Order: sequence, then structure tokens, then C-alpha cells
Amino acid sequence: MFGTYNLDVHLEEEGIELRVEGTGRRRRYYRKAGGEEVEKVVYADRAKLIVCPVEPVNVPDTTISEHLLTELTTPAVIASGSRDTFYVKFPVEIGVFVVDSRDVERIDIFTKTQPKYTLYGPPERGIVCKWWKSDLYMEEPEVDRLFEGVMQVDVKNDYYQWMELHHVVFWAFDMKIFYNRHAFMHAHLTIQKRTIGETSFITHKPKNMHKAVDIYQAKGLKKLKEKYVMEWGFQ
Amino acid sequence: MNIMGALQDVWNYQLGTGGPKVWEVAQFVLIIVAAIVIARVIRTNIRRIMKERVPKNTLSNMEKLVYYTIVFVGFVIAMSTIGFSLSGLLVAGGIMGIVIGFASQTVVSNLISGLFLIIEKPIKIGDGVNIDDVAGIVEDVRILSTTIRTYDGIYTRLPNEKVFSSNIQNYVAHGARRFAYSVGIRYRDDADQAKEIITNLLESHPLVLKNPAPQVFVEELGNSSVNLKVRMWAPSTHWYGVYTEMLWKIKVALEKEGIQIPFPQRVVWFADTLKGDITTDRQA
Repeated sequence: MFGTYNLDVHLEEEGIELRVEGTGRRRRYYRKAGGEEVEKVVYADRAKLIVCPVEPVNVPDTTISEHLLTELTTPAVIASGSRDTFYVKFPVEIGVFVVDSRDVERIDIFTKTQPKYTLYGPPERGIVCKWWKSDLYMEEPEVDRLFEGVMQVDVKNDYYQWMELHHVVFWAFDMKIFYNRHAFMHAHLTIQKRTIGETSFITHKPKNMHKAVDIYQAKGLKKLKEKYVMEWGFQ
Repeated sequence: MNIMGALQDVWNYQLGTGGPKVWEVAQFVLIIVAAIVIARVIRTNIRRIMKERVPKNTLSNMEKLVYYTIVFVGFVIAMSTIGFSLSGLLVAGGIMGIVIGFASQTVVSNLISGLFLIIEKPIKIGDGVNIDDVAGIVEDVRILSTTIRTYDGIYTRLPNEKVFSSNIQNYVAHGARRFAYSVGIRYRDDADQAKEIITNLLESHPLVLKNPAPQVFVEELGNSSVNLKVRMWAPSTHWYGVYTEMLWKIKVALEKEGIQIPFPQRVVWFADTLKGDITTDRQA
């Protein structure tokens, strides 16, 4: 389903139907997924349709949160000074964009996952995050590609003590999503103190993958800060 | 030639003894108008460029600062064209300030309160608040007053002095907030089953936060019902939608499983047994 298409596409996969009908300047966009149907009229001469994974914080509402909290089913205990790599899964949200030589416009975002939110930190100062629970994998796991993506996490413990990791928080503004068969992200986590860590994303495009449309850049927003500081701990 | 001469006379006419000439007054007005126009153009451009990049509240303060600074500079320049020097203006301003301060204490009080509100930021534009029993969305925090659009759409202006000295409840200052329902079930119903049904319902709702976890417990053994307390947290910006949605869903989910919310009831004991046969319509 992920890819770039002409404005006469008809895709059906795993209960998702997406099509653009009509000829000439006026086309009709239709999408059905999980009992939800969306129809829009698209006016365009020469445009392409991009279907790709987007930052998983947009459904059901883009204004609720800009962060993703991944809770680990099995906590990880990390020795002081050590570095390691593990994989987690993240919820896939699928974005549909129309693009021409001048601009990119989002026309639809949907997901097969059941959204859930949580609070990271205390009620008076914490932030609301999109919540997802994932096992921790030593090797890249198989995923239902329209449901979950894979995130590689390089973790480094700079603190002088052992640390137990129950959850990691990522900032959607900073995410770099790539895709081929499935969605993929590559993140860094540096544990600095008992309750402070830093998460960031690697911009380098993996081999044989495409870069997903960045919603924030599509909106014309410049990214000034490229890291998120976890200041409420890891448990 | 005569017309030109007459115009020149008018142009050079002095207003009062030692007062400014007409052309100087015209220049004064022109500079003020130009300053206002320039300030508006710059304000509009700041709004357009920064709208997506800075918070609404900061943008509003930035706009006001730039606007009033340009107008003030224009005013100072304009004053010099009609013979008022800056030093004279400052002296005059100081004296005027004292006079105005005494004459209009309320205005000054509002002004100072406004400055403190802008610095302390207990409320921001777009926040849902309750100030002095006025509940609504903050539309603007100005130098002298704060405007609120009440939830039923009424424009309300509150003097900053009142805002500053009142209890302010800001519903969205924190990321999440808690709210609660009381749900009564019949004594014959299984309270544990009811708790499980409600907990599952809350778990399935996206905006009922996973953490802090919702709480469902028996709060009270009431006169007519076992009262359950249902507490949940939701994002502050979206809590009201959840609040209005969940109570009815809880009622429907409980009834679907045969658990009912009872009407008030009272058991009446008669001191003497009633004599005679009582036959209800149904038995008949």
C-alpha cells in the first residue's frame, strides 16, 4: 500500500480500501478503513498521490499529543557505560498526500490501531503522550505492516548505575520515518541521569527504503530542536 | 497666483501666539498616521510569519509590544515637529504621569495588574478558565483588561485588577485533569462485575488515560443503591468531550449486562397488620 501513485489509483489491502476516481481536474478520493469512510474531492492537474506511514500521533486528533510513549512489556536492565541495540514496535498511522511540483498537502490520515493516551510525568507538569505497548526484540521483528512498524533503538547508559527501562518517550516532531515493506525508524536513547535521558532520531536513510513525508515539514515548520529530553524517568 | 499665495499664507499660518504653524500640525498628523500605518503593517506581517512558529500568547504580546513601540516612537518624533523637545516631553510626561496617577488610580491599577499578568502568565490566550465566576476561553490579555468568550459565546471584559486579585482556575494549565461520576447499582447486582464492566469500557476509550489509571470502587452503601465512584483522567484540552460521553456509555454497558441503576426506594413497615384481603390488579 505504501508508495507513490497517479491520481487513478485503487488499493485494497487488509480491510483498507483507498481509491481515486474520475478524470480531468476533478477527482474523488475515497477511503474506507475500520468502519470509517472518508470522501474528498481533489482538484488537480498534474499531481501524485503518496501513501506512506506518518508520525503516529495524528489519530484521532492532531492536537492531543506530539509524543509517543512506548511501554516495554519486558523491562530492560542496562549496565552502566554499556551500549546496545534493541527493537520495538510502534503503531502505524497511514498518511495520504497529494503532491505536485510546488507543494505537499495532507488529505487523510488513518490507522488500524486502537489509539490510547497516557501521561508521562506528574499531573501538574507531565505531558500527554500517545501510548503503545511493545515487546522488546533483540532482532528486527516481523510485523503486520499496516498495523505496526519497527523501531530500532540504540541505547547508551551514561549514568554510573544500572538502569531499568520500562518505557521510552519520543517526540513526533523529531521522528524520521522510512518505509519499504513496512515502516521503520531508527532512534537513539542516551540515559544521562537516574531520571533524565535524551531521545533522538537518525536521519540517515537506510538502504532500499524511502523517506516518508514529514508532516511538520509539509506544514512549513522548521525544526529547531532535534532531541527530546525525558525528565520524568524511565519507570 | 493669488490662490497660491493664499494657500501659502494658510500653510504658514501660526496657531496662536508662539504656537505651531499649520504645516507643522499637518506634518505632526502625517507622522502619527504614518507611524500607525507602519505599525499595523509590521504587526500584520509578524502575525503572518510567526503564527505557526510561536505560541498564540507570545505572539499576541510580541505584536502589542512592536505596535505600541512604533506608535510611541512616531509620537515622539511628531511632537518634535511642533516644537516639543524630547526632554520637555519627558518632564511633561512625568508631571502628567503623577497627575494621571492620582486622578485615575483604577486605570493605573489595571495597568500594573496587566503587566503582572503578562509576566506571571497564570492565563494564556486560548486557555479555558474560570475567573471570578466567569468561565470561558481567554480571548486576549490586554494592558488594561482581559477578554473572555464565555462558553455560551458572550464577550466578557474583565478589568485586569479584578483578574489579578481573583481566584483563577485554569482548566488547561496542566496536561491532564481528573473527573468523576457516581453510579448507583441495585443491592442485588454484583458490584465486582459492574466494576469490571466499567473498567473495560474506560480501557477501550482512547482519551481516558492509561496512566494515571482510572479508578472504580464502591464509595457508599446508599439508601437505595450501592454507589460506585468512577474516576478517570483525560487530556485537559479534551476532557469535556469525554465527560459528556462516558456517563451514558457506562449506563448502557451496565444495563446490557443486566445491571440496573435503581430508582429511589423505601421499605415501609406497618405497625399493625392490615386487615382484609389486598388483591392487586395483576393477581385479579
